[in-house]
Amino acid sequence: MTTPAAENQTVRAQSRGQVVQAQFRKHRLAVSSLWVLIIFYALAAFADFVAPYGENESFFRGAIDRSYAPPTRIHWIDPATGGLSFPFVYNVSSQLNLDSLELEYKEDTSQKYPIRLFTQGAPYTPFPISLIPQEWRRTWGFDPQIGLRLFGVDKPATLFVWGADKLGRDVFARILFGARVTLTIGVFAATLSLIVGLVLGAISGYYGGWIDDGIMRLVEVLATIPGLFLLLALRALFPLDAKSSVVYFVVVLILGLIRWGPVARAVRGQVFSLREEDYVMAARSLGSNDARIIFQHILPGTASFAIVSFSLLIPGFILTESGLSFLGLGISDPNSSWGLMLAVAQEGGMQTFTSRPWMLIPGIFIFVAVLAFNFVGDGLRDALDPKARR
Amino acid sequence: MLQFIAKRLLQIIPTFIGATLLAFVIIQLTPGDFTDRFALDPNADAAQLERLRVNFGLDQPVIIQYFRWVWGIISSGYLGESFTYRAPVGTIIVPLIYNSLSLVMISLVLTYVLAIPIGVYQATRQYSNGDKALSFLSIMGLALPNFFFILLLIVGVLSFQAGLRQVYQSDAWYKPILEFFTYDLKNGLWFPVGGMRTTEIYDSLPWWQQMIDRAWHLILPTIVVTTSGLSSLVRVVRGQMLDFLQADFIRTARAKGLSERIVTYKHVLRNAIGPVVSGLGTILPELVTGAGLVEFVYRWPGITPGFVTAIQQQDLYVVMGLLVLSAILLMIGNLVSDLLLAFVDPRIRYS
Repeated sequence: MTTPAAENQTVRAQSRGQVVQAQFRKHRLAVSSLWVLIIFYALAAFADFVAPYGENESFFRGAIDRSYAPPTRIHWIDPATGGLSFPFVYNVSSQLNLDSLELEYKEDTSQKYPIRLFTQGAPYTPFPISLIPQEWRRTWGFDPQIGLRLFGVDKPATLFVWGADKLGRDVFARILFGARVTLTIGVFAATLSLIVGLVLGAISGYYGGWIDDGIMRLVEVLATIPGLFLLLALRALFPLDAKSSVVYFVVVLILGLIRWGPVARAVRGQVFSLREEDYVMAARSLGSNDARIIFQHILPGTASFAIVSFSLLIPGFILTESGLSFLGLGISDPNSSWGLMLAVAQEGGMQTFTSRPWMLIPGIFIFVAVLAFNFVGDGLRDALDPKARR
Repeated sequence: MLQFIAKRLLQIIPTFIGATLLAFVIIQLTPGDFTDRFALDPNADAAQLERLRVNFGLDQPVIIQYFRWVWGIISSGYLGESFTYRAPVGTIIVPLIYNSLSLVMISLVLTYVLAIPIGVYQATRQYSNGDKALSFLSIMGLALPNFFFILLLIVGVLSFQAGLRQVYQSDAWYKPILEFFTYDLKNGLWFPVGGMRTTEIYDSLPWWQQMIDRAWHLILPTIVVTTSGLSSLVRVVRGQMLDFLQADFIRTARAKGLSERIVTYKHVLRNAIGPVVSGLGTILPELVTGAGLVEFVYRWPGITPGFVTAIQQQDLYVVMGLLVLSAILLMIGNLVSDLLLAFVDPRIRYS
């Protein structure tokens, strides 16, 4: 009969997943980066709800003109009583400054516009349903629209947390909608290049010989052409003025097809040793065909490498996508992406930068997202590497 | 050694064929051929068009076209004709490549000159505050997009503008000093915010002032391109150094009573330098790519702005020419790095 003390001493065996999780948690930067990313993706998913305005809701040359409006000042102090009040904003009116020939915005303090929580705005399709293509939704007759937004103010006042762009569109809203493009393109492109890299690397390492030679020469050729130029040349194959949804797939395809080389090379090296393992020999003698051996027995052995390179490929793709959109060859207006927003920021010429610095905020988002992905990737690499156990 | 170089040159051939083939396939996949462009031109006559088609061998099978194109490159460096500029591709892209390379080469040299001492410092003082700060900076540098960094630098320069202009109008004692250390005090520009030279006055300047003018324009883009290369190379140097600092022969060297300086530079660095030198092959394309977006923002007339324009104008032979020439340059870079590696590492056999 065991005593309670003896029971306490028994060490509970941890599964591999638990070990990896525990190791990952020790990497504090990686864990907080993971949370940052979760928040980013959640904001992107619920962008319609979180942002007070729609992606393309513009206040330009109409009754309300907010071209390049600076961030709206949010007031907390009630001027009448001098005490704290519920946050409110003032309406602004624009005047042309005759010296700089730019619009200047002045607050009109006669009327307060309190910030309303859970207010109604322009209708939109809520998140999980918005993933279904609109045509399908129409033909099914299932197209619910809601107008609920987290916060907003009554018109004619406007609430631009991070200012407005040239067409009077909310920069904050466009950042959240742009995240949908920038943060997902990286993931899809990484998935594609991982699949291509794993399969070609495994084939190369498993068969060896001329197949191996051919694939490895292809990898070398791809590596000789600077990535950006290959990307640009491939982009030239597709019409430049295509719809954003088409461009999205084109960009995923191109990105996925230029960066699989290093993955393939690394997988090939691993497969070289894995194919000599006893369990592979056993599978072969049991009569498994090559495809089964590669996909069922060899590729799972490269899983931890795949996970790590997946998480480290994404930030590179985010940078590349931003660069491509920045060059005007990616997602185009009216849709939004972080790179595109920066391209728009420099459109007005260098001299206008200092007067509207809020147009550069998307760059900070690119930076933070890439940084967070790098940290998560580093954390995963350390967690999955038995030699780096702490 | 000569044998080694010859062998290495021979190895370039398959890669060259692959790269040109890839460029060619990309162009062939593009719908239509370039005479369609001329056909839309009302001034073009049919005979001229036909002559062009024959000249370019567009009436031949694709494989013959490829070999003719490659032969044109090998025999006379002829890359085809630009349809936008109606001039040989070479005359258009060579200045672009020259401009880009001047930026990339300076950055490359600076990257190596700075990365090695920084990496050595970090490795010899592992986990010190300096090491931590520099590691942090290099992680930041990896995540900061080049085009955003150059935008930030430009904003930084412009934010001084008003203050500097005031100094220019005043007669403060430090005005001449500031005048010397700024690019254009009159307009309040500490650094130029774009372009490769001051176009309005450049031609009227004496040669030494032209040099100074060019140098001023190089500063900001060089900072950006160098930091991007530095962030990755410093990590390589540091990692390599750390691997060798633990080695037995280093303990032996210390035990012999050699000074720490000699141990670090003659024993550790000498052994650790291999991957750093061969890293040239990967750093160079990174720098070319990284410089690309900087060129675009800074209006530097380099490869990438030319590339983007060529794509927008569907000027396919320019696209192809840039693709092939940049590939050739990278192959040369790889060759140089291999030779350098053989030079710094006597363990590598030449034959």
